[in-house]
Amino acid sequence: MREEPKERLDPRAKTLWRLSGFLEMLPVLAAGAGTGWAVARFGGQPPAVAAVPVLATLLATLANALVLPELRWRRWRYEIREDEVDLQRGVLWVVRTLVPFARIQHVDTRSGPLQRRFGLATVVFYTAAGPNRIPELSAPVAAEVRDRIAELTRERDEL
Amino acid sequence: MSSEPRRLHPAAMVIEGIRAVRRWASAAAIPGLAALLGGLSWWALALLLAGAVLLAAGTVLWGFLSWRATVYRVEGGAFHLRSGVLQKKERTIPLEHVQSVDAVQGVLQRLFGVVEVRIETAGGGSSEPDASLAALSRRAADELRRELGGGGRGGEPGEGGGAGTVRRLSTRELLVAGATSGQIGPAAALIGAASQFFDDLYDRLLSEEAARGLLEALAPHAFAAAALLLLAVGLLAWLLAIAGTVLAYAGFTLSRSPDGRNIHISRGLLSRYEATIPVARIQAVRVVEGVLRQPFGLASLRVESAGYGRDEGVSTTLFPMLPRGEAARLLAAVDPRLAADPPLAPLPRRALRRYALRSALPALAAPLAAAGAWSAGAGAGWLLAALPLPALAALYGALRYRDAGWALAGDRLVARSRLVARTTTIAPRRRLQSRSLLRSPLQRRAGLATFRARIASGGGGTGVEVVDLDLRSAWDLMAALGPRPPSPASGRRRVPSR
Repeated sequence: MREEPKERLDPRAKTLWRLSGFLEMLPVLAAGAGTGWAVARFGGQPPAVAAVPVLATLLATLANALVLPELRWRRWRYEIREDEVDLQRGVLWVVRTLVPFARIQHVDTRSGPLQRRFGLATVVFYTAAGPNRIPELSAPVAAEVRDRIAELTRERDEL
Repeated sequence: MSSEPRRLHPAAMVIEGIRAVRRWASAAAIPGLAALLGGLSWWALALLLAGAVLLAAGTVLWGFLSWRATVYRVEGGAFHLRSGVLQKKERTIPLEHVQSVDAVQGVLQRLFGVVEVRIETAGGGSSEPDASLAALSRRAADELRRELGGGGRGGEPGEGGGAGTVRRLSTRELLVAGATSGQIGPAAALIGAASQFFDDLYDRLLSEEAARGLLEALAPHAFAAAALLLLAVGLLAWLLAIAGTVLAYAGFTLSRSPDGRNIHISRGLLSRYEATIPVARIQAVRVVEGVLRQPFGLASLRVESAGYGRDEGVSTTLFPMLPRGEAARLLAAVDPRLAADPPLAPLPRRALRRYALRSALPALAAPLAAAGAWSAGAGAGWLLAALPLPALAALYGALRYRDAGWALAGDRLVARSRLVARTTTIAPRRRLQSRSLLRSPLQRRAGLATFRARIASGGGGTGVEVVDLDLRSAWDLMAALGPRPPSPASGRRRVPSR
């Protein structure tokens, strides 16, 4: 059980995450630029000081949009094992999660507008203690994973 | 199963009326009080009085009409409730959806010797509220509970001397529970509100000169006065905590239905609270040893129970206080699958460092901030006061390390940890919804891992966690608590050999 799960997410996930990573940082970038401008305009500070918040948010954006998606994708793995779903995720904090089929109540696939543009979908399966996700599978793979989990869930119901 | 359409007990008129008044009164209380304090003209007073009379007449009428409109019956395998004065409502709940039938006795209901019956449904969806009957005679309530199959339990709530009683809280235990509850939070809030009120009073009653005089007289003894005040506030909070516990838990009785499928809890001094929890839905129990209770070997028991569909489960008190050693026996009486009190395995020595650092690092912020303030010209006293904080935090971390432990007892996970109270969670393997193994970069370096299992509780979930296990034990837990665990014998042999 200790060996990593075999399956990876769709490679297009990286592109999607880069895009969404950039988009979600836009307000932060704006805030950084605004702060920099305010410091220069009203604080009477030299431009070097005013550039600090701008550069900091720019760096954070670069990390979130370029570096993190790659690391996250490399870590994310899943496998549908004999009795349970095996997930591995996390960049610094690595989380390995096992969800027995016998505990799964139902399975969905869902895809947001951005995901649909890339032909991706997320599989969500629910236990009594909340949902678990396998994000960014290509739509046909997601449908297949969903159906397999649903089928195995029915079989293992009596464990 | 069918029955005649029935009405509520006539006391429902009064109860509904008073409820309506209370709703309106609470809305009018703040402006009313403000008007009173601001001084009233006779005109305004007369107007207010007339309004109150009108309100009273209206509520009497409303109470009567709503009593007349409310009819319930059990027919064709379903519970039917018709109600509503202006807008008629008819609700039908199939008997198989009835999850629990609770009898609650508020102060008003006690006055009339009636009970409020609440019918909880399963899978009804959150959009459909459960049915509630404001006042039924005890006999009618018992009859209804029988018809609904919700574990109709005869007898007065709180009387509970029947064969199914698992344990009752004695008066002595009740007082000890109050004294050791440590729930000064709500009491402190109450005192805070009261002190604000007195502040206002003080501002109104004392002229500025008089206040200054008083302050100057007190100033030389400021420290003693402050200490005395603190002591008084603490004592008051403590007394309030005792009063709160007595109100909530007086006559606490835990009992079991004859078929052993449900447990009943009934408690409360002024308003009786009665609840039914299906044993099959209990996901985990927690033995909570509060800071004030642990030295005396006392603990309280909590139970996590799952919802069904969108119906909410509960996380509730199973028993408010009992000697720690009796916990396993009480749990065995509720459900043998929940009872376990095995010796716990400690965490590896190298985890101590992680625990100490984990709580000391955030505490470092205090002396750093104080040092910053000092260099900016603030007093050195703050710096001196903040310096020992990280050390204290590290000690707290060491305490958490010492109290952490885990065990596999048969088919159960037992995990102990401390946040403030020392809490031991017992969760059967089949109740674990998912299991995770987490590793931070520092844990990876130290060969440690955190094991976390999710269990269902209420509408969502909660967790059991063992932080900083050695990696091998963590993987053993992952395997042993899975759907097909290695057999106990081979498992036990395997652990030491690896």
